[in-house]
Amino acid sequence: MITEEIKNKLRAIVGSEYVLDSEIDRFGYSYDSSFVQFSESNQPDVIVRPANTKEVSAVMSLASSMGIPVTARGTSSGRTGGSIPVSGGIALSLTRMDKIIEFDERNMMVTVGPGMRTMELYNHCAEKGLFYPPDPASWKYSTIGGNIAENAGGMRAVKYGVTNNYVMGLEVVLADGSVIRTGGKAIKNVTGYNLTQLFVGSEGTLGIVTEIVLRLIPMPAARNTMQLMFPDIEQACGTIHAMLQSGLVPAAAELMDHTSIQAVARHRSLNIDPAIGACVIIEIDGEDDAALQKQASGIEETARRFSAIEVRTAANQAESDDIWSIRRGLSSAVGAMAPNRFGEDISVPRDAFPDMVRRIRDISEKYSLTIAVYGHAGDGNLHPSVLCDMSNPEHAGKVHTAIGEIFDAALQVGGTLSGEHGIGITKRSYTEKALGTAGIEAHKAIKAALDPKGILNPGKIWEQPVKEGN
Amino acid sequence: MAEMKKLLIDAAAIARECDRCGNCTTVCPLYGEIDIESSAARGKNNLTLGLAAGVVKASPALLKAANFCLLCRTCAENCPTKVRTDEVMIALRQHLTDELGGLTAKYRMLGTIMKTRPLVKLAAFSMAVMRFLHINRFVPRGLVPNENRRSSFTAAYAGPALLGQPVVPWESTIAHDSRVAYFHGCGMDMMFPDAAGSSIKLLEKTAPGKIQDLANKCCGLIHLAHGMRNDFIDLAKENIRLYENTDIIVTDCASCSSTLKHTAQYFEDDPEWRDRAEEFSSKVMDITEYLTRAGYRPQQREGVRLTFHEPCHLGRGQGLRSQPRELLKSAGEYVEMTGADVCCGGSGSFHLDYPEVSERMLEKKRGNIEKTGAAIVVTECPACLARMQKASRDSNGKFIAMHISQVI
Repeated sequence: MITEEIKNKLRAIVGSEYVLDSEIDRFGYSYDSSFVQFSESNQPDVIVRPANTKEVSAVMSLASSMGIPVTARGTSSGRTGGSIPVSGGIALSLTRMDKIIEFDERNMMVTVGPGMRTMELYNHCAEKGLFYPPDPASWKYSTIGGNIAENAGGMRAVKYGVTNNYVMGLEVVLADGSVIRTGGKAIKNVTGYNLTQLFVGSEGTLGIVTEIVLRLIPMPAARNTMQLMFPDIEQACGTIHAMLQSGLVPAAAELMDHTSIQAVARHRSLNIDPAIGACVIIEIDGEDDAALQKQASGIEETARRFSAIEVRTAANQAESDDIWSIRRGLSSAVGAMAPNRFGEDISVPRDAFPDMVRRIRDISEKYSLTIAVYGHAGDGNLHPSVLCDMSNPEHAGKVHTAIGEIFDAALQVGGTLSGEHGIGITKRSYTEKALGTAGIEAHKAIKAALDPKGILNPGKIWEQPVKEGN
Repeated sequence: MAEMKKLLIDAAAIARECDRCGNCTTVCPLYGEIDIESSAARGKNNLTLGLAAGVVKASPALLKAANFCLLCRTCAENCPTKVRTDEVMIALRQHLTDELGGLTAKYRMLGTIMKTRPLVKLAAFSMAVMRFLHINRFVPRGLVPNENRRSSFTAAYAGPALLGQPVVPWESTIAHDSRVAYFHGCGMDMMFPDAAGSSIKLLEKTAPGKIQDLANKCCGLIHLAHGMRNDFIDLAKENIRLYENTDIIVTDCASCSSTLKHTAQYFEDDPEWRDRAEEFSSKVMDITEYLTRAGYRPQQREGVRLTFHEPCHLGRGQGLRSQPRELLKSAGEYVEMTGADVCCGGSGSFHLDYPEVSERMLEKKRGNIEKTGAAIVVTECPACLARMQKASRDSNGKFIAMHISQVI
C-alpha cells in the first residue's frame, strides 16, 4: 500500500516526529466517538500531522499523485464515523494547526486554524467581549475544523443559528494540493459560487480546510437560566411555539422526555416527581437584568397557560449551573441505563416536534425498546437514544429496524436524518431515501469535479464501492 | 491462564464505560506533552478494548503504551462517566506482564528492594552516606535528593519566640484510647528520614508515648503498578496481620495511604481475606487527615510564604484537599499555586522511564511555584518531594522543598 519510500517523502514534508505508523498508533486513529466496531480495515496506513497549509498542500499533492486516500480529522469526537479512515491510506490529523491566526476586533472577525478546540476559541473571543455562539455539546474537546466539516449545531441554535451562519471564508487545500480561498471578510459577496457553504458540512470529502474566517457578535451582557416542568411533551412544545411566535426567543430551549428525566434522577440520586412528563431548560440573554426580568415573566406566563407544573428561574450563578448540569449530564445518564445506546440526531420542522416524539413512542412500544428522547426543542433537533443490549440476540435483531423506522418517520414529517452530527458511515445507507436518486447524483457530480480520483475521505455520506488496491 | 483472562475481562468491563468523547484529552498531563491518541485515557481504554476484541495484539509496544500513564486520575475525575482508567492500566500492565512473560530488570530490582526491609534500610543508609559526602549530586535525575531539615526551618523562621509559648489547645474527634501506629513509607525512610522523624514527633504530640512503631512492609504500590501483583498481595497480607491490634494506621506518604486504603478492593474475591482486608483499609489515615481529625493546629504561625504541591494520591486518590491546606494556613502565609493538583511527573518510577516528558512537566510546575513567590514548596509524598527538590535546584534556590510534617 504505502511504501517506505512514500513514508519517507511524508517525513520529509512534516518531519519524522509527525509521521506515525506503529501498530498502536494505527489502531488509535481507527475509531471516533461513534460506536463503529474496531476493525483492521478501518486503520490508516500512516498518520500524518502537518503544521501548516504548505505541508497540507504537499501531502495532498503526494497523495493525489499516488492515489492514496486521505481522511482529515481533528479530535475524532464525531458521532457518525466521519473521521474513520475506512479505506486506509493517510489519517491527516490537523490538531497542530490550532492557533488564532488573526483577531480582527474592528470587523469583529477571527481567523483560526482548524485544530483549535471550539471552547478555547469561544474563551479567546469572550475575553475581548465578543461572542462565537455555536456550542455543540462536544465544544470542550471538539475542534473548530471538525465543527465546520459536520456543520455542528448546539444548544444556542434556536436564537443564534449553527456553525455555517458564522463562517465568512475558508482557505481550502484541494485534492490535488492546490490552495483556494473562498469568501472573505466582506459581508456582501456574490463573486462566484458560494463555495464557502459548499465546504461547510462536506465531512472532509471535498477538500481540507486549513484556515477559517468566522464572524463574531457582541457578547450579551446578561444571561439567566429557567427550568420548566410539564405533565407532557405537548404542553412543553406548545409553550416553546407560543414563546417564539410572541417574539420571546430564548438563547437555548432544551427538552427532555419522561425517560430522560428519570435517567438523570437515577444517575444523580434525585427525587423527581414521576408525574413530570417533560422538562424544558431555557437560557435567556439580553442587555441587562431588566431585559432578562421581562423575558422571564413572559416565559413564565406562557408556561402557566400551558399548565406548567413548576417554573423555576435561577436566582444566581450556582442555581443556573445546577440547572444546566442536569442537561449536561444527560447523555451520560441515559448511556448508563443500558449496555448499548444508539444516539440518533434527527431534525424536523419545529412544529412537528410533538408529532415526532409521539411517533418515536409508538416505535418504542412496537419493538419493546426503551427510547429516551431529548433535544433542542427550539430548533426541532431531537436526539432519540435507543437503549438496548446488543449481546441479547432479541435486541440485536430489531434495533436497526427500529432506527430505520425513526428515520422514515423523520422524513415523513418533513425532517431529515441529521441535524448536527453528519452522515459519516453510520447513516449513509439512509441518505438516498432522504435525498433521492437525483439528489445523490448531484452530490456525486460535485464530488467528482473537486476530487476526481476520489481520495478525500472515501466511503462517506452515501454508499459507494470502496476502491481497492490504491 | 484463567487469572490472566479475568484481569483483562475486568479491565475491559471498566474501559467499556468510555464514551470515546475525548474529554480526557483536554486534561491529561501526558497528552499535554505528547498529543497523540495513545497518550490520554480514551486511547488507553480503547487499546484495552482492542486487545480484548483481538484487534490489538499483546506486545511490548502495548505494555509501553500502558506504562506511559501517571496513574494520576486526572482523567477519571474529569470524565463525564468517571471511567477509572488508572485501574484499567494497572490491570492491563499485569495482564501483559503475565502474558508476555517477564518483567524488565529495572522493575524486578525495584520490586525486590522494596519488598525486602533490610534492602530499604541499606538503600536509606547509602543515600545518607552519599548526601553526607555531597556526592549525591552526581546521581542523575535527582534520584538521591538532598533533604531540608525541620531544625533549619525552625531556626530560620520560628526564632526564640517559639520557646515558652503556651500550647494551643486542640479538640480531637479521635477516641482517646485509640491505638495509633506510624506506617513507614519506603520512600520516606530512604530519601527523607528527617521528615519521617518529624512525622513521628507530630504523632507523639497527639498521643504522647502511645504511638506504635511496627516493622511494616512496603505498601506494594510499585508492585501493583508494574505487573508484580503477587508480591503486592503477599505484602498486603503481612501488613494486614501486623496491624490487627491497631485502630488507626497513619502514614506521611500520600502514595502509601492511598494504596493502603484501596488495598481491600484487591481481596474482594478472596473469602478468607476479604473482611480482614476491609477492616485494615478502613483503619488507614493519611497524616494530614489524622492531624485534622485529632484537632492538631501548628503551634505558631510563621511569616514565611508557603505553597502546596498536591500529590495525585492525596487529592484525587483520597479526596484530601482542604486538610493539608488548612494546616499550612495556620503554619505560614499560604499561597495557592496555579495547577497545584497537576501531577509533577514523578509518579513512582515514571520519571526514570520517560525523563524528557517528566522534565517538561516539572518545568511547568517550577514556573507555577516561582510565580507564587513562596520560599517553601510543601508536599506530602516522597516521589513528589524528590521532584520538588529537583525543581528547587533548577530554580537556583528561589525556593526550597519540604515535607508537610517539617513545617507544621
